[in-house]
Amino acid sequence: MEPLAPHEKIFVDSDIVDDENHGEIACHECHGGNPDDPDWKTAHKGVVKDPTYPDATSACGDCHDEINENYQKSLHASLRPYRLTIDKRSNPNAVIRNKVECAMNSHCYQCHSSCGQCHISRPNSVEGGFLDGHLFQKKPPMQEVCTACHGSRIEKEYFGENKGVLPDVHKEKYMKCDKCHTGDEMHGNGKDYANRYEVENGSKCLDCHEGVYGREAKNVITHRIHRDKAGCQVCHAQPYKNCSACHVGKDEKGLTFFKTKASWLDFKIGLNPLKSEKRPEKFVTLRHIPVDRGTFDFYVKDGLSNFDTLPTWKLATPHNIRLKTPQNSNCNACHGNESLFLLEKDIEDKEKEANKGVIVPANLIPRKQKWQPK
Amino acid sequence: MKYFRVIGLAVALCLALIPGNPFISQASEDTQCFKCHTSAKKLIEITREIAKTRPALKSSETKGEG
Repeated sequence: MEPLAPHEKIFVDSDIVDDENHGEIACHECHGGNPDDPDWKTAHKGVVKDPTYPDATSACGDCHDEINENYQKSLHASLRPYRLTIDKRSNPNAVIRNKVECAMNSHCYQCHSSCGQCHISRPNSVEGGFLDGHLFQKKPPMQEVCTACHGSRIEKEYFGENKGVLPDVHKEKYMKCDKCHTGDEMHGNGKDYANRYEVENGSKCLDCHEGVYGREAKNVITHRIHRDKAGCQVCHAQPYKNCSACHVGKDEKGLTFFKTKASWLDFKIGLNPLKSEKRPEKFVTLRHIPVDRGTFDFYVKDGLSNFDTLPTWKLATPHNIRLKTPQNSNCNACHGNESLFLLEKDIEDKEKEANKGVIVPANLIPRKQKWQPK
Repeated sequence: MKYFRVIGLAVALCLALIPGNPFISQASEDTQCFKCHTSAKKLIEITREIAKTRPALKSSETKGEG
């Protein structure tokens, strides 16, 4: 995403004084600094760029107390899944673990959000800048906020920007992120979750498509046969982006950087690594994630010595849904079609152990069907 | 007494009907923050001045997709 010009980032629309909710709050009440000092250099002493991170209590909490309380545990703020998965892969040695934590602080934990970085400015990860002259946005704009961070995978999938892959059907219906991912989901409900699939008020296909198992539904037989066996994306997603070999470090000026290998488009059905009451399906779509055994090598060798405790092919919900896809064109487009399934031969030797729980053994690949539902 | 009450109510009503509370606007508009951050010209001058002294914040070594 192209960053805003420096002056655009901090230009305030004078209409903000007409905002009946926020217009009466003076700048320095949230940001600090000296509002009476005409010298910008000294006036900015003590200024807080984002007064809503890491704690929004003083800036937002007085009025939005419930959201503020819950938000501390929302995945966008807590980044708990990152912490848990890296913890699990980390070397148990306290000194090494501490170095991994330092690296995480410099890199991974820099990707977070806050009240301000959704409702007032672009996220820091895309160099920030006010969304609309600091006017408060009740609904964050999709492409300046949501896909500013979720750009490499979700944006490209949803908008059909991956070569040869159609946009998501929901995009063609002019649906924006918040149609499925509500404010309540984003703000959290005060509970700690280990991953986004556990979030109770997270979006589910069935929230809108609850009728697919009903007697009157189209393809009811197909849907009922596959219920709890295959995730919706197994039949309705298209090839999606996969990444690998992320390595982080600091350059000679001390600036942080990351390097990944070139991403690739793939579609792989594997065994569900996160089976739960909410997600009971045996088969789900899996995406290769960027983590690598040597991700933190710049900071400490063997930082992820327990790398094999979690798969590198992770449960994914690609955002490029279509009603008709090559794999659902008929039963045998998928049944017996080995190329769609994550097999042992698809995995690099160094990652075989990590992925043994998601690889589909040959005897579990659904057999070709003679019968086809009408 | 009654006369003052009526006048008071009328004044309050007028203030409520004026779009954008003038007292509030006055309070914000008086600050140096507001004067500067609502002036594109001033901001361009200042950000150019800053750019001359501040080094790049992003490493050129970053490669790939985040």
